[in-house]
Amino acid sequence: MIEDEGHYFCCNGCQGVFHLLSDEGLDGFYDKLGGNKLAPPSEQYEDSANFDSPAFYERFVSVDDDGFHEVSLIIEGIHCAACVWLNEKALTSMDGVVATNINYTNNKAKIIWDDSIVKLSKIIDMIRAIGYNAYPYDASLQEVKADKERKEYYMRIAVAVFATMNMMTIMVAQYAGYFTGITPQIKHILNIGEWVLATPVLFYSGWPFIRGMYYGMKTKTVNMDTLVATGAILTYIYSIYITVTRSGEAYFDSVTMIVTFVLVGKFLEVLSKKSIADTLDIMNHHLPNDVKTIEDKKVVSKNVNDVAVDEIVLINAGERIAIDGEIVEGSGTFDESSLTGESEPVFKRVGENIISGTVSIDADVKYRVTKDFAHSTMSNIVALLENAMNNKPKIQQLANRLSEYFSTIILALSFFTFVAWYLYSSHFEQSFMISIAVIVIACPCALALATPVATLVGLSMASKRGILFKEAVQLETMANANVLLLDKTGTITKGRPQVVHEEVFDSFDKVLLFSLLVNSKHPVSKGVSNYIYSEGFEPFELQSFQNIPSQGVSAMYEGKMLAGGNAKLMKTIGIDVKSESHNSEFYFAYAGELLAKYELFDLPREDAKASIEKIKKMGIEVIMLTGDHQASAKKVAELVGIEQYEYELTPQDKAAFVEKLHERKKVTVMAGDGINDILALANSDIAIAMGNGSDIAIEVSDVVLLNDTFVSLCDSFKIAKKTFTMIKENLALSFVYNAVTIPLAMAGYIIPLIAAISMSVSSLLVVGNSMRIKFGYKG
Amino acid sequence: MDSWVIAMMLGVSIFLGSIAVVTLMWAIKKGQFDDEEKFLNAVKFDGIDDLNDAANLERKKEELKKKEYRPE
Repeated sequence: MIEDEGHYFCCNGCQGVFHLLSDEGLDGFYDKLGGNKLAPPSEQYEDSANFDSPAFYERFVSVDDDGFHEVSLIIEGIHCAACVWLNEKALTSMDGVVATNINYTNNKAKIIWDDSIVKLSKIIDMIRAIGYNAYPYDASLQEVKADKERKEYYMRIAVAVFATMNMMTIMVAQYAGYFTGITPQIKHILNIGEWVLATPVLFYSGWPFIRGMYYGMKTKTVNMDTLVATGAILTYIYSIYITVTRSGEAYFDSVTMIVTFVLVGKFLEVLSKKSIADTLDIMNHHLPNDVKTIEDKKVVSKNVNDVAVDEIVLINAGERIAIDGEIVEGSGTFDESSLTGESEPVFKRVGENIISGTVSIDADVKYRVTKDFAHSTMSNIVALLENAMNNKPKIQQLANRLSEYFSTIILALSFFTFVAWYLYSSHFEQSFMISIAVIVIACPCALALATPVATLVGLSMASKRGILFKEAVQLETMANANVLLLDKTGTITKGRPQVVHEEVFDSFDKVLLFSLLVNSKHPVSKGVSNYIYSEGFEPFELQSFQNIPSQGVSAMYEGKMLAGGNAKLMKTIGIDVKSESHNSEFYFAYAGELLAKYELFDLPREDAKASIEKIKKMGIEVIMLTGDHQASAKKVAELVGIEQYEYELTPQDKAAFVEKLHERKKVTVMAGDGINDILALANSDIAIAMGNGSDIAIEVSDVVLLNDTFVSLCDSFKIAKKTFTMIKENLALSFVYNAVTIPLAMAGYIIPLIAAISMSVSSLLVVGNSMRIKFGYKG
Repeated sequence: MDSWVIAMMLGVSIFLGSIAVVTLMWAIKKGQFDDEEKFLNAVKFDGIDDLNDAANLERKKEELKKKEYRPE
């Protein structure tokens, strides 16, 4: 804790932010924060000057009609309304900033500024100074389009719901009148009222179906839209005829009901559709737009696409690497977390390769380009990802497949009824009315509701258990899955090595080893220090501490050398050790004498074995994919009971493996955690982000497990299967219903009361059946 | 009750209701519900300060617009 004039801070970052806000008069932020807790500001490695480059402006910045510049940013670190308030307040207080609009829901911001007064880098610096981070995204057409579609649906639904609700009040009067008597005059007025309400519902709210029917006719296919649209339009025309001639019963209510129900179902699908654009935005954030190259001993700024192989590129501390290459001068540490998921910085020197998408933390190096931009690692991944997401296999929903047949049959039956009745009675009007009654009675409500209602119940069940399905249709796909692919590190295993074996050669004070390890962030060091730590350890003061990359750590204590690390480190200090184990090894030596050896292993999660067993019992094949070597893969696979595993796979290999399964007509579910799994995730039918998945992995995934356990993974299979059974039952129910009522309608026996009851009851049955998922599911 | 009363009540209620629906649609179209969270939070932060800020920002924008030199 840092104390500063009566305020307490957890770190310097928070203290800095506090002083900045006080100076700017923005300390009201802390009052607005209420009970919300803040995470300390994270360290930013990347230099904001990149934002002022011409290439960046060309790509992300637009100029509006008034001559102001405009950029769309994603702001990281927003977790409450006060954060939005603070960002907007801080930005608008800057000279030259004309407007800021931050969307709390998706953390996207639009900033408009006068570029002659303030530069974008200054704006970004301000956002970073108050403890957030921002990166640009291309507010491309795709997103604009998706937004527009959503808004359109909101409006159509608003109209449909309004009309349906009013229609219901009129229907109460109509039905009451049917039983207790009603004057023809009042009935006529009520019919006209219904007509007025049904018209906008059919032609405005129902427009997507009419449009769907039109396109269906053009391509000569019959779909759900065809049935909904013909049903609604014919019922509407029939009802107008009844209203005008004042004979019989009008069915304007079924027109609005059909359209409203089916529209809401369709909207649920649109709402959850994830946008590919969003995912690629996050990915593109890993790539800068220009680099500094050295030509004739002068530094020249170049667009990444213009850099050729063998050119020399200069990278300074804080810059992100755009193109793959090999270091020719200098050395330093790089942050490769975006590629490997490993948060430990990596030390690199002359002759070593550096990879695009990583960030130089403190390295000022010159490197020779080995691949052009389009073929560099990160561009490759982006391109493959884009491709995979665009071509994601879509399994056609059962209801859609069935509705095609159902619609065709109903339309044919209706036509057949008309012809038969006309030949039989030679009475055109009667025959026409009966044939319409067939379509009306075969109300597609139940059929259209079968899937959405069951999925809604399934989704809510899943979300209560911390399982989020991003798209409703994924439940059905998941229910049909027959292969589960699991990544090893971080998914099956805990992702951090733990000590599994200890060998002490000579007794020593463990505090000494603890003092040495406490300064190291390496996972192996952490594993050992967690193992030996016990209450009351107070580290000794060590001199000349040294972090030796890829070997270990060393320091001096009372004039003697302490060293901890792998066999290589031991050799350099003159101790010969034999390494035989498949596990990671850690040796500890003091004053030239080997004192202890620790073996570490990345253990599987506790719940993995039992859950994998359960999943296998559901008839799902479980395969492990890993980039690790065979021995380690085999060991983990045996521990969790997986017979089939593939090892030493690159990200591309993993994706190819998924493709191979697809060729064998398998429906795959892939669970992984890092960028190395991303291609396989994007290629599989269902992607699940597990472990502390990277942002991009979560973005690509279809299912997110909030509590991140194998039990939830198992549950998600169970819920999906249960829901799918329910969908099938619902469809069967609605077919049985139709099988009973349609012959009656064809025979001309349908009286209005039966029609009305039939429609409501079939829908109610479907809804009621779906609710059973809740009662039928046993965790 | 005469049937014209029913007709009138029906007509008036549908008319008033449709005004509300049209207003709602207008608001959706203008993007007032794009950020559902902010919509609710706005109530919490709507103070004199924020109104002043909004007014100042508007003034700043107008002043900058009037500036003669505009680099593109």
